[in-house]
Amino acid sequence: MEKLSYVGKSLPRKDALIKAVGAAQYAGDREFAGMLHAAAVRSPRPRIKILSISDTAARRVPGYVTLVTYKDIKGVNKWPVVLQDYPFLPEKESRFAGETIALVVAQTARAAKKAAALVEVKYKELPFLEEPLKALEKDAVKIYGDDNVFSSFVIKKGSVDEAFKKAAFTAEGEFSTNYQVHAYLETQGAIALPESDGGMTVHSTTQCPFYVLDAVAAALSLPYHKVKILQTVTGGGFGGKEDVPALVASHAALCAAKTGRPVKLIYGRKEDFQSMSKRHPGWARVAYAADKNGKLTACRVKYVLDGGAYSTLSPIVLWRGTVHAAGPYKIANVDIKTYAAATNKVPCGAFRGFGQPQICFAQESLIDELAEKVGMDPVQFRLKNLLEPGDRTVTGQKLNSSCGLKEIVQAVRKKSGWDKKIKDRRSKPEDRGDVATGIGFSAVYYGVGLGAKGRYLDRAGAFVNIYKDSSVGVNVGNAEMGQGALTVLAQIAAETLNAPYESVKVEEVDSSKVPDSGPTVASRTTLMSGNAIIEAATPIRERIFKTAFDLLTAMGAGASQKMTACGGLFSMGGKSIDFKKVVAECWFRRLKMSEQGWYAAPRTTFKMEDGQGDAYVIYSYSADAAEVEVDLKTGAVKVIKIWAAYDVGKIVNPRLAVGQAQGGILQGMSWAVFENLTYRNGIMVNPNFTDYVLATTADKPEYDITFIEKPYAEGPYKAKGLGEIPLIGVAPAVANAIKNACGARVRSVPLLPEKIWKALKVG
Amino acid sequence: MPEMIVKPATLKELWKILPALPPARRYLAGGTDIVVACNGGCESSECWMDISDIPELKTIKETASSLFLGAAVKISDLERSAAVRKWCPALIAAIPYYASPSLRNMATLGGNAGNGSPCADGVCALVAEGASVLLELKGKKRRLPLKDLFLGPKKTALKKDELILGFEVPKRARLGAYQKLSARPYFCISKAAVAVTLEISGGVIKRAGIALGSVAPVPLYAAKTAAWLAGKKLSAVTAAAAAGIVKAEAAPITDARSEADYRREMCGVLLERALVSLVPLAGR
Repeated sequence: MEKLSYVGKSLPRKDALIKAVGAAQYAGDREFAGMLHAAAVRSPRPRIKILSISDTAARRVPGYVTLVTYKDIKGVNKWPVVLQDYPFLPEKESRFAGETIALVVAQTARAAKKAAALVEVKYKELPFLEEPLKALEKDAVKIYGDDNVFSSFVIKKGSVDEAFKKAAFTAEGEFSTNYQVHAYLETQGAIALPESDGGMTVHSTTQCPFYVLDAVAAALSLPYHKVKILQTVTGGGFGGKEDVPALVASHAALCAAKTGRPVKLIYGRKEDFQSMSKRHPGWARVAYAADKNGKLTACRVKYVLDGGAYSTLSPIVLWRGTVHAAGPYKIANVDIKTYAAATNKVPCGAFRGFGQPQICFAQESLIDELAEKVGMDPVQFRLKNLLEPGDRTVTGQKLNSSCGLKEIVQAVRKKSGWDKKIKDRRSKPEDRGDVATGIGFSAVYYGVGLGAKGRYLDRAGAFVNIYKDSSVGVNVGNAEMGQGALTVLAQIAAETLNAPYESVKVEEVDSSKVPDSGPTVASRTTLMSGNAIIEAATPIRERIFKTAFDLLTAMGAGASQKMTACGGLFSMGGKSIDFKKVVAECWFRRLKMSEQGWYAAPRTTFKMEDGQGDAYVIYSYSADAAEVEVDLKTGAVKVIKIWAAYDVGKIVNPRLAVGQAQGGILQGMSWAVFENLTYRNGIMVNPNFTDYVLATTADKPEYDITFIEKPYAEGPYKAKGLGEIPLIGVAPAVANAIKNACGARVRSVPLLPEKIWKALKVG
Repeated sequence: MPEMIVKPATLKELWKILPALPPARRYLAGGTDIVVACNGGCESSECWMDISDIPELKTIKETASSLFLGAAVKISDLERSAAVRKWCPALIAAIPYYASPSLRNMATLGGNAGNGSPCADGVCALVAEGASVLLELKGKKRRLPLKDLFLGPKKTALKKDELILGFEVPKRARLGAYQKLSARPYFCISKAAVAVTLEISGGVIKRAGIALGSVAPVPLYAAKTAAWLAGKKLSAVTAAAAAGIVKAEAAPITDARSEADYRREMCGVLLERALVSLVPLAGR
């Protein structure tokens, strides 16, 4: 491969300075002349029949402007997501406590909030569902279809019953995991500005500007070319700004359409907790079978997600969980059944890992239990069964050469001193009073991109434009949300064009400048937008390189010598010329200095009947070892160190990659040991950061991070995807470490001290 | 935020303007509870009376027999005070567990007590120190043992508009410790907390003060355990036995933060750890 100037380098983040000095303009920072403010009127109860909505009292608040209800919706009152069961605003029935029933518009945000609290909703309470497993029972109240099932999938291969009968060893267990709140620094928000032609421009904090476009156009019944979505600097997403910003923006747009004035709608933290998407609570029963040599022979899974009141992204989240439910192993006989159940709670959706962390916690915990029964070291047991290039996954997909799973497992094993630590702990348990130390392992695979279930969305566009002064503007359809997309994509553009990195600017998404590029999710941005940029930049590159060659030749460089291009400089035969001069000449020659690019993911397949097919275009891989200390008297856990290794293909920016890994590990650890959102009688108990406790940087374990770059031929400069995988394997590694430390096997996340204490008491 | 915030410069001015203020009114000191409650929609007074700069409430004063801690003194100022370091060992031990450094720069003991929460770290420590609370209403003063200020969760013996002036801690040489268990080891409300003070002579406990946080409807003075400890030699054996007694005194509940049986057990673990931590200091 030719030497790279920008890709593979730890170049500074494009947005570091504006964020560090507080100059970045988030949605809440933007002001427009004549702007009004909206606030939501929310359902107080888990399930109600709405009898009437009255603003009589609210009208007395100074600054009150109007009330917006479903009657103000010009379009169809269905938010277009997957199954279209979620109305923009409810008409007769509201299905979870915190759901927006109506909106109040006022001169100030304060007046809007005050007036919203005074809007009187008369209602009748209806019977509601809180538990997903109960929702699946025959005699349960029905709130979705005739079975409360949003979505269900199977994967079937071989003869599972027979394999279990023949098995030398089996392990089975029930596992559960709780919600996770995205806890982005910036809450949800949008500003909608009516345009003079009847159109609407929306400033939105979002990962998915095109979902916002779909929703606003639908709510207002406008053609897409009259709606423009401008992504504002987005203060964190983690999946929480995938689908729901479309709802928030639609509400702002309905208010703006009704009043004819710009309307700002910014969420408070409490309402953000109560009504915006979460990681699904999960429940799973998993069983594995192995032969006498410790080779996995079968896996049986029943996996249930608590979808909440509306389906939103549950079908897709569940599908990803289904595909990965057996873990990254060679298993001939598989029976996986999965369900997303409706309950009268907050609708759950995307969160880093997208349905995988819940089931991964279950199956990677159980793999340890099975290894113990077989009498093998858990790492040895995994190594015996892990997928390798050429192997087939449980969906029958044959893996290509970009699979470094065994190598990363070996790397973590070696760096963590696994073998010695396990041996030492067996032979001479150290006496440290009330504190016990332990180490645990996990291995993960992750299908990059949307896969077969989302394949119609798996394309992305880019627009690359070189101005006369040689500065480069790049528009893409995927969003920067803190993960570093603006930087990594600028590196890819600079590399392809041989433009100086400083001269390249990738902009936040403007839906009118690039075609619908799908969502910014599924660790797909580097791969999809990166490839689209390369496609756009390649013809420009040819023009630039040809022009550079001409200029160098004119300068007297011998044409027999090969021209090199590096770091914005073109050289040949001792002569050099920079990018700026070459671009000036291109413009002088009236060459086309802008291009559109497009990348569509290769074909994927999935048969609904048996779940067989090539589910994803490519997989990334991770391995984690966690070292923990357990206080034997209190059950309190401290995660001391995480060794992690990843195969995510070529690393475009090593410093940002390490940042993604550290952030994912900490977020995974936080979910594993702290985060505990609770409901009582259909009402969220702790919608605040006082009682919803999450890890801070003070809790961070020591990190030891390794990348083993297995090139992916289809990827931009051989890259795959990284965003999500660092989170997924942390919880089971920590749970396995707790077991190793003190013997307590805790089968539910969060791994609270209370649970460990109880397990220790039972012995 | 309420429509009106008033900021009297002196106590005298406060009592003078009080009758004219809207009836739904509350005191504002550091604001670390009331502003959060307001943002969460749980506080809807028409008027806040900001007492954070009233001089009488901002002093730390030593008399011959006691130390006065003004109700509006910031927690971080207490932490830096040499007198507090000398005479309030349990409070000093509790401060690192008290919210976060930034909140400690705003929060006050008066607010900590007036809020009436059973999990107040500062209050729990002061109860173990044997503190009294000084109150005033329209010029009329009264004094209560601090432990008697609390009647139930968020319920105090404070009359309408009655103001906490400060706390009096007896100046007696003692050791102090604070042990807290919470979801996160810092910047977090406790699941259970134990404050201990011990007056020791010749290795023998002369007087003990034990207070429990988050395991009863109020910051609980563990009178039985304290009485049992008096006259005992401070040792690991004594600590273990005291742990058994204190578990019977706690009256915890199950809520979003923890579970009753766990909390009860932890009172014992924390008390034992607190007492054991003082063993090496007892000989000095």
